[in-house]
Amino acid sequence: MSHHFPAILFLLPMFAAISMPVVCLKHRQWSRPISIAVLVAMVGVSILNLISVIHHGEVRYAFSGWAAPLGIEWVADGLASVILVVLSLLGLLALVFAGPASPKDLGGRIVHYYILILLLIASLVGIVFAGDLFNLFVFLEVAAISSYALIGVAGGRALFAAFRYLILGTLGASLYLLGVSYFYAASGTLNMADMAEKLPQLLTSKAVVGGLLFMFIGLGIKMALVPFHAWLPDAYTYAPESISPILASLVTKVALIGWVRIIYWVLGAKAIVYDIPVLLLVGVLGTLAAVIGAVLALSQRDIKMMFSYGGISHIGIILIGVSQGNHTGFVGGVFYLLNDAVMQAALFFLAGVAICQYGVRTVEDMGQIGKRAPWFMVALVVVALGMIGLPPTGGFFGKWYIILGALEANNYIAVAAVLLSTLLTLAYFLKIFESIFRHPATDSEILPGETPLPFKLSVGITAAAVMILGLCSDLIVQFLLNQALPPGM
Amino acid sequence: MADLLSAVIQRPNFLTFVIIFLWGFYIMVTRYNLVKKLVGLYLVQTSVIYFLVSISAKRNSTAPVLLSTTEPVQAMNYANPLPHVLTLTAIVVGVATLGVGLALCAAIYRRYGSLDEEEILKKLE
Repeated sequence: MSHHFPAILFLLPMFAAISMPVVCLKHRQWSRPISIAVLVAMVGVSILNLISVIHHGEVRYAFSGWAAPLGIEWVADGLASVILVVLSLLGLLALVFAGPASPKDLGGRIVHYYILILLLIASLVGIVFAGDLFNLFVFLEVAAISSYALIGVAGGRALFAAFRYLILGTLGASLYLLGVSYFYAASGTLNMADMAEKLPQLLTSKAVVGGLLFMFIGLGIKMALVPFHAWLPDAYTYAPESISPILASLVTKVALIGWVRIIYWVLGAKAIVYDIPVLLLVGVLGTLAAVIGAVLALSQRDIKMMFSYGGISHIGIILIGVSQGNHTGFVGGVFYLLNDAVMQAALFFLAGVAICQYGVRTVEDMGQIGKRAPWFMVALVVVALGMIGLPPTGGFFGKWYIILGALEANNYIAVAAVLLSTLLTLAYFLKIFESIFRHPATDSEILPGETPLPFKLSVGITAAAVMILGLCSDLIVQFLLNQALPPGM
Repeated sequence: MADLLSAVIQRPNFLTFVIIFLWGFYIMVTRYNLVKKLVGLYLVQTSVIYFLVSISAKRNSTAPVLLSTTEPVQAMNYANPLPHVLTLTAIVVGVATLGVGLALCAAIYRRYGSLDEEEILKKLE
């Protein structure tokens, strides 16, 4: 039973999405409880899967019994399993949040809405588990297509943002597919493990070098790495409040996991292409992203826009950690990725509450919430501590291990970039807190109604998780060191 | 230079791929009409699919159905089926993307009464 967990994890949301139009034909209001039940089941199965991976080692799942190089293979190793737990938990919270936050004019399309969210989650599971390069492409596209549609649901400006995302995202996917076909032409295989054995002799081949370049640009667009990030801020800002948490916390991070898989599991950590170590390239791109994203975030007025740029800069920090080429840096990067997923979800939950409940969109207006909702302020402070990286939170330990890894690799520029990005993060959160404490609420504002319980639940749990990840950091880092390191490192 | 030129001319399929890809990319970058942008995007996707098919082509080979069950299999006699399968999936993905793109275009047209990027951007201000 336990070796079927990867397939079950994918089939649960996929099957629910496909059968929902029939099941909910007459009873539209069932779509939400069914989706939540499916996600609860996913959380359970993903935890069981993690436990079984810890006890019995990684699972290589061959679909319909066709063994690895010929058939389609899914790999549930330590890295994938721990990400899956975070993914299904955040998916569940996002669905809980989506109830009161979803656009009011959905009407009969509420069923489609939940179908798309379930499809998105199913495809993210596929990306994390994918053991061959073409599978990765298919699931990237399924995730992308459902996110275009979900962003466009809000109408108005979101339509145009979604269209831009579609043009850039599909261009990225085409480039990735081109890279995959170059790799296939050079090595004759698509399976990651099989290709890892054949590539080292082929690293001087022009087809592999070109393919690598196309793949990196393609996935770079998907994860909004800095020169290719233009689509992200608009798309996430104008997306419906119920959708942006799941997009911001999961989609870009999962594309990043695809990149990490290709660099470490296919190319190998020490790959050198035309005298340039691949990891150095990744490190430089990460350094640029970490600083530029934070600078851009500082100049924003819209809170969702600011948090989107914050997410772009954190992608850079994760890449810095992953690219150091030693255990500490890699584990720090992955741990920071888990934290960042939680923190981005929490930030966009907070932004969603501010917009839906209080009608506040800009940093200047945040002061209006201040005195009315103390719970909101507490959560915001906790998440801000995590984003800045102050000690009791998980963000601190992630950055700590990344900096230790960079020092181990004598890479002082990376250390400086992480510190600079931390300072800039502090600066843009100070902007928010300044407006809160300088401009307290005026009495003339209309008082909003009671905050719905789902809002409080999702904000509260993610804010608590930021702290809990910090308190359990030792445990998680030890697990990652033992189970999630790439082969040959 | 002459080497490079002859290498290119000997591979007309790669040359065709590059021309279609760049043509589509050019349309995407230079046109302001959203539907034309989608046409360019579709050309880019099609060029990649064309490339995948063309690398699997083989002279004097046939479809991968066994010619005889008694003799040992001669790989030289059969075209590689895998790229064709990948192509099918890629075509489906491309059509789905195009469908979502056209739906977004229709919604944008209903909302802003125009498909011209500059006009829409002006109305967004």
